[in-house]
Formats: sequence, C-alpha cells, structure tokens
Amino acid sequence: MSFAVATSLDDALAAMAAGARPIAGGTDLVVGSRQGKGALPDAIIAIDRLPELAAIEVGDDVTRIGAGVTHATLMTDATVVDQFSSIADAAALVGSPATRNVGTLGGNVMNGSPAMDTGAPLVVLGAEAELRSVDATRSVSLDELWTGPGSTSANADELCTALLIPNRPAASGSAYVRLEYRRAMEIAVVGAAAAVTLDGDTVSTVRVALTAVAPTILEVTGLDAVVGSTIDDAAVAAATAASEQATPISDLRASDAYRRHTIGVMARRAVDAAARRAMGETIAVPVNRALGVGAVA
Amino acid sequence: MAITDLPTFVRADGPDKVTGSGRYTADMTLTGMLAAKFRYAGVSHARITKLDVSAAKAIPGVFAVITADDVPDVRYSYGIADRTLFAKGVVRYDGEVLAAVAAISPEVAQRAVDAIVVEYDELPIVTDLEAAVADDSPLVHDDLDGYAITGDTPHHGNVGTHSSIEMGDPDAAMAAAHTVVSSRFVADASHAVPIEPRAVIAQWEGDKVTIWTSTQVPFDARNGVCETLEMPTTKVRVIVPHVGGGFGGKCGPHYEPHIAALARAAKRPCKLVFSRWEEFTAPDRRREGMIVDVTTGLDAEGNIVARTGELLLDNGAYMADSSFFAQAAAMHVAGPYTIPNVRIDAQLVYTNHQPSGSVRAPTAPQGCWAVESHTDELAAAIGMDPLDFRRRNIVRTGDVGPTGQTYEEIGLDRCLDMAAESAGWGTTELPDDEAFGISIGWWPSFHMPAGAYMKMHADGKVQVITGANECGTGSVMTLRMLAADELGLDQTDVELVYQDTAAAPDGPGASGSMTLFNHGRAVEKAAKEIAGQLRELAATKLEASAADIVLADGAASVAGTPTKSVPIVELAEAAAEGELLLGSGSTDELEWPEIKGSSCLGEQGFSSFMAPQFICHVARVRLDKDTGVARVLEVHAVHDSGTILNPVAAHGQVEGGILMGIGQALTEGTQYDETGSQRNAALLEYKLQTIADAPEIHTQFVEIHTPNAGPKGAKGLAEAPNVPTAGAISNAIAALIGRPVRQLPMTAERVWSTIAEEVTA
Repeated sequence: MSFAVATSLDDALAAMAAGARPIAGGTDLVVGSRQGKGALPDAIIAIDRLPELAAIEVGDDVTRIGAGVTHATLMTDATVVDQFSSIADAAALVGSPATRNVGTLGGNVMNGSPAMDTGAPLVVLGAEAELRSVDATRSVSLDELWTGPGSTSANADELCTALLIPNRPAASGSAYVRLEYRRAMEIAVVGAAAAVTLDGDTVSTVRVALTAVAPTILEVTGLDAVVGSTIDDAAVAAATAASEQATPISDLRASDAYRRHTIGVMARRAVDAAARRAMGETIAVPVNRALGVGAVA
Repeated sequence: MAITDLPTFVRADGPDKVTGSGRYTADMTLTGMLAAKFRYAGVSHARITKLDVSAAKAIPGVFAVITADDVPDVRYSYGIADRTLFAKGVVRYDGEVLAAVAAISPEVAQRAVDAIVVEYDELPIVTDLEAAVADDSPLVHDDLDGYAITGDTPHHGNVGTHSSIEMGDPDAAMAAAHTVVSSRFVADASHAVPIEPRAVIAQWEGDKVTIWTSTQVPFDARNGVCETLEMPTTKVRVIVPHVGGGFGGKCGPHYEPHIAALARAAKRPCKLVFSRWEEFTAPDRRREGMIVDVTTGLDAEGNIVARTGELLLDNGAYMADSSFFAQAAAMHVAGPYTIPNVRIDAQLVYTNHQPSGSVRAPTAPQGCWAVESHTDELAAAIGMDPLDFRRRNIVRTGDVGPTGQTYEEIGLDRCLDMAAESAGWGTTELPDDEAFGISIGWWPSFHMPAGAYMKMHADGKVQVITGANECGTGSVMTLRMLAADELGLDQTDVELVYQDTAAAPDGPGASGSMTLFNHGRAVEKAAKEIAGQLRELAATKLEASAADIVLADGAASVAGTPTKSVPIVELAEAAAEGELLLGSGSTDELEWPEIKGSSCLGEQGFSSFMAPQFICHVARVRLDKDTGVARVLEVHAVHDSGTILNPVAAHGQVEGGILMGIGQALTEGTQYDETGSQRNAALLEYKLQTIADAPEIHTQFVEIHTPNAGPKGAKGLAEAPNVPTAGAISNAIAALIGRPVRQLPMTAERVWSTIAEEVTA
C-alpha cells in the first residue's frame, strides 16, 4: 500500500491517472475500512492540503465551492450562510466538530451515500459537480453523477474539484432539515432540502429534494403545480408529494412507514423555513436547532 | 449548589488523563509481545462437530492457537457453573469464544483466526422469553442439574433462577380492591458501552503470571484466573492501568484467563485489544431484556392494597453474575411503596443471546421504568395527581416495605417534595408540547469485605494501599480525603497505591457502588491506626495524654492548648528512625436488615436493602408530536444517599447516571435478528446520548445520617442515579400523548406509533 501527499492539483490528478484513490478528510474511507465495509485502496493520494480545492469563489452567475472546503467552513462562511443557507444547515449537522473540521463537501458528494446531508441542498440549488482528470474538465449534474448507493458516474481518474452553484435570485431562500434521534454524531434518518423563490406572498419557484428515502438523493417532482400558491399550501403539497414519491427502506434506523411519514414532515418544514428566509427572516444555521425540528431544540 | 461553590477536591488521575500522559492497558507494549485474537462461534446455538486449528497453526508468525483442549476442564460461574473458558461441545451464543490465537501481528492473528475450521450441527435457537419458558421449548442447557449449583437458586427447564416475593394475601386484597389496573411493559436489552473497549496483556515469568487488564474489579479477574487455570492466588498478579469507564461492564473476570493461557502456550507476552464490535457482542455483560406484567389494586382513597407481578428476564446463554437478577427485578417492580399484599414472581430465563451481567444498577432502570409508568396509570385511573399519589403510598421512616423490612431513618418523602419543588411541579406553566414526569426509585448499599494498608513516610506523606479501583468512581478523591481527615493532613499529602492485587488487600473494587461504602471504611480504620500512633508520639513529646491530642492542619496539638503543638512531619521523621508508622484496616461486618411476614423464594440477598438509597427524578420533556422525537430539557434529581462526603464526585455520578438513563429511555436499545445476533453493534447504530443532548440537571441531596452505613453515614451513589430517569421521561411522554409507550427504549418511532394507536383508538 502506498500513501502520498499531493503537492499540487496536477500532482493529484497524475496519481489518480496511475490508479491512486483520493483522500481528503477520510471520514468515510477510513471509518468504512475499520468497520470492514471495504479494504483501503492500494494507493492513496492525499488532497486535503491543496489550496486549489479550498476556495469559495463568487462569480457573476455561479459560485464555485472547492471540493476541499470543510463542513466547518461551510457552516460559517458568510456567502454560504447567506446565499446557500441549506448547505450551511446541512454542514452544521454533519457528525461532530472533529468530523466537520476534516470532512469536505467533495468527499460528501463523491461518497454517494443517499444519507449524505449536503446532497439534497445541492440538488435544490441546481448545483453541478466539476470533475477533472489529467486530460479534461467537465461539469455533470448531480442527477447524472449519483447512480446508486455509494456509486457515481465519475471515472476512476476523475477528481471532483468543485461544486458549481447558480447564484440565487432575489426573494429566495433555502433550508435543510433532518430527522435526528440525537443532536451530535448523528446520521440522517430522513432529511429534506427546499429552495423557494417568492413573488410577494406567493411561491414562484420551489424545489425539494430528499435524503435517505431512495437509493440516491431524490428530487421531488410535480411541484410546478404549486407555483402561485401560498407558502402554507406549497409546504403541504411538498409534504404530500415527498411522502408519495419516497421509496424508503426499513432498517435499523427506522421502518419504511415511519420514514414515509416523517419525510413529509421534513419536506413541509424545509419549505416553510426556506420561504421564511426568502421573506428576509434570519433563521440561524442550522435550522434544525433554530426552529426545533427533528430533535426539538 | 453551583459547581463553583463546591469545595475543591483533587482528582488525582485527572491531569494524566486529560494531557494524555496516563497509560491505559492498550497503550502498553512488552518486549516480544504478540497480538491475541479470538475466533468466535458465529452462530447462536449449535453442536460442534469439527474444530480444526492445524491450518491456523501452520501460518508463519503464529505462535499459539488454543481451544478448550488446552486449558483445564473447569466449569465456572456464579450460582450455576454453566460455562467453560472456550466453547466445549456446544456453542450457545454467537460471541462465544472457540479459540484464541497469538501471532506476530494483529493481521497475521486475524488470518489465523480465519483459517480455523469449524463445523456445526445446528440446534434450535431460543430467543423469545415467553416461548422459552413453555414446557415444549428447546433447551439452551440440556441438563442444568449436571452443573454445580450454589445458593438458593431454584431452576428448571430454561429458567436459571426463579425468585418470588410474597407477603399478605394478594388475591383476596385484589378481589376486594376498588380499582385494579394491569399493565405490560417490555424492555429491550442494552449495553454498558464503556468508551475504552477492554484490553488484556499477560506475561509469564516462571510459574507466575502478571496480567494487565481494564477491569473494574482486579480481584474478580485474579480469582477467575485462579479458578479456571487452577492456580494458587499467590501466582497470579493483576495490575490495572487507567480504566476508560466500566459502568458494570468490566466487573467480573472476562478474558484474563484466556490471555494468560494463550501467553503460556505461546511462551511470549500476549495482548488482546477489543474492537467496538467485540465489546458489544462478546462479553458476558449486557443489560437484560425484560417483560413486566404488573397488576395493582387500590382502595377507594387511592391507597395501594395489593400488587402482583410476573417478570421474565433474558439471561442469555450463561450465568455471568446474574443469579440475583430475578430477585432484584422483583424488588424494583414492588417499588418503595407500602404494599401490604404482594406477590411477584420473577424468572431469569436462558436464551441464545449474549449473557446478561451487571450493568449499572442491574434490573433497576427497566423495572423502575415499568412500575413507575404503571404508577402514573394508577394515578390516572382514579384522577389523582401523580405526585399526590406517590405522597400517599411511598415508604417513610418507620414504614414496612413490600418484603416486610422496616425502614430506619430514610428520606424518600423529602426526595419527592424537594424534586417537585425544584421543578415547579403544579406551578410552572408549560407550553403544549412540554410536560413533567416524575419517578421514584431505590437501590441498596452492599457490605462486602475490603481491606486497606497505609504507611506514613519520613516526610509526612502517606500512601494508602487499597483494593479500590478508579473508573470514574471517585476513589482517587474520596479515599484520600478520608485518610487526610483522620490524620489531620491535606488530601494532597495522601497518594493511593491501587489496582494491583499483589500489593493491596482484597476488596470489591469498583462494583455495586461499594468503593466508599466498603473500601472507605477500611481506609478509615487503617488511618485511625496511624493516627493513634501519632497521638502516642505527640503525647510523649508534648507531655500530654494521647487522648487529648488533636490532629489537624498538619500538626498534633493538645486540645484546648493550641500552643502545645508539634508538626506531624516531625513525628513522622522520628518514627522513620524508630517504630514505622503503618496501619491496616478491614471492614466490620454490618448487620443485614431483617424481614418479617414475607416469604422469599430464590433468596439472593436482595429481599432486604442495607442502608437503602432513595431517589426522585422529575424530567421536563419536550415532544415533537409530528415525529415522536422527545428531548429532555431538565432533570430535577434529589437523592438520599446518606452523608455526601465529596460533592464534586457526587454531582458527577448523578449527572452521568441521568445521561445514561436518558439514553436507555430514548435511544439505547440492542436490536437482534431472528438468529439471535445483534444488528446494531456499533456506535452509529447503538445511539448513546451525547453531551449536546444533555439537559439542565438540578441535583440536591437529602443528607440523613444513616445508621448501619458507610463512612460518616455515607451510602453508595454510583448506581442510584441510573434508576429512575427513564421512568420520569416515560411519564412526561405519557402526559403529552395520553398513554405510556410500552417498550424501552421509547424511540421516536415507538412514540409516533403510540400516538397513532391513540388516534386509531
């Protein structure tokens, strides 16, 4: 087994072209290996110290969040908190302070777990993943990226270098809420993100995506019908659609029936919190604590 | 009292632990040391038809592979000697050890473990408690009577011990009762989950073995080695480095004999370090699952006139230290109430689950949760406030309890009043999604022999050589304080020499809330001996009577004449050149309280409570009714544990016990598949509470000078805080949703399901 520390992004891409797998925080890779989920790769290239991956750059139309940005940064960075609040909500709920200080956005996305917290926020914000190899750079939609639990469509030599998120219009807000049985060291039982744009008192756009109720992060469809309706009506419609469209499993954490019920509750609360933010209300990150959802405050 | 107001106590092991300079067993390395690993049964019930370790032994780097064939043929355990070190003939739970491997590295050891060939004939798996006690159930042990059985241990079929409490005429009283309520509650098993998975190192020199191990009770570990490897006490030395928590899970012998035998076979020191999965699945320490059926009759005024109960407890595959569990559980389901007519039958049932063993206040959190939830149902049935109902029915000083014990000075009534007042019961306005719940409980103190040695050196410093064990129990603080107090010294003048069976007199270590109660009494006696010697020396020097010498503030002075004084260090200096200052002490036997008018079958020492501790907890709970997620906002805890000598440690015990109780109430439950294997043997899926979940905890103590108790009237305190918390939370949830959640832990999904039943009903 070999372990090398990349000194530059090119260095990392070359190592991956030669068969190495990347490690950033290692919060999935190392823990999974110790729990027997899979052996560590034969060759590992550490990318956690690359400044190229650690920047948050606000462009004219798109904000580029480096794949190496940690959850601890996401939950406190002013741009993320103000503009992409749902990502900050999600990052703040990941694991513990130790996990958040080393775990990264790119790692969360590329691990491909349907229980990932940052996934649903990225979907409702319309994010794309930037994948780079020695030869090429491409952007893929998340829908295209995630192909199943723990699997992505990225090639073995491609590194996720950033998430590209369209800048938000005025009068919009987003939020992520999740069901949790305790307030730290927790994984999503179910979770929901919503992004809402308002036109006065009515909803002009709404997107909702769901955590841990399908093989991949699931975007709720058919919400076009709520355009023009009140926030309350939109929230109820989102809840109903979420419960209907979810295909949850029964496992150690919850039964399918309980997940189907609570995903509706989470969707309703996510739409409500996103809309309140769109109206200019400041709801502190994470919304789970501020509003007392999930493990009540 | 705020923590900042408390007197300063020095936690002597604190700096080592927080700076990382302290050493735990897993941190140690010996020259030539090998890695030990176990091969586990992997199935819950089967007859072994083939066990072949030849391929494992042939792997380069493997030094030894041992099985039942390589150790003495000894069956052991408390109550019923039903087990062997390594599986012999039949495996009865999936974490049972088949073989141990010693190899040059953990990786090679694991390869050897995987190379061991085992073949089985499967046997029927017994996991359901009610099916297990049916006449036609397959048996976990074919022939219990073939084992050595000690004590009053009635047994039959899959029932390991049957215990009953009977007083008065419960049938007649129930028939005549004004109101009768029957309830059923089911508690899942749970785990102690010490943050340090256990570790054992053994090293032989000639015919002597030294074992370093993360045990709570070094003498249990030593005795286990002596019994199973047939060795004299003098040839086995157990040393305990720092222990990363135990919560009962590290009481008793565990793998010390296995590793000692392995190191002997390998002719090298061997080290075992458990993974978290092993820590969950292998040891004989699990909080037992329990089914409680309880019926209570009330008279027209709301007085309890009769109680009957049927209890089934999941013992798992073997007796660990569990033979008393049936009787202990029966006492908790009786509860600290005045009940003239009682019959409670409790059966400890063998299954093909991991064995149950003492976890902090064994049987009490579940039994208390069931009976206190039932108590609120009783109060509701007659429209009485739960606090008033308890005030009417609890035991008070001079009352007779449910087995006929008459209580001397006790403070349960004050616990109840003070907890209610602290919470603002009946006066605090709560939002619609919040409620208070109240619960009371009890737990005995235990007498066991313990000893202490003590020496004062020429510099006036004192070493206390004690069999006490520090796993958060506070012995590093309180035992020093007791010695310093007798000798007129500061705590910092006193150091403990502890956790070494070759050095210290025997004792119960950190088990059964016994550190202060027993080791403390021994330390007091040893210190009194040296104090007497100091008084004699001072009397000669000061030309006074020894009886008039007062030891305080580092000096020996003549009472009433403070100018006639000599520093203790001067006396110590002189003694070092003459007769050395040495002390020793052993606990005096305490009188066990007698019981009258009851019959107790399966007597295992729990029918009367010595120096009983009483508790009342009031929990303030907020419930998210849409999801069933409950959050405990406040716990108001009032304890009668006698005199509190060390408030810092006492508050710590209560707060830790409550947090553990919240976990057991809401999130901590062991889940099994249909083959009897644990499904959530990992920290992500077995959900402990975190510090982020901790509520505000308001703790008070009712300090009554208790006769027949520990040093200065102190009782135990380590287990009691874990007893009533789940009951208080249960009653708060029931107040919010109209009925109790009948299964423990009361997970969010179970709360949600209970709400849904209410809606359907």
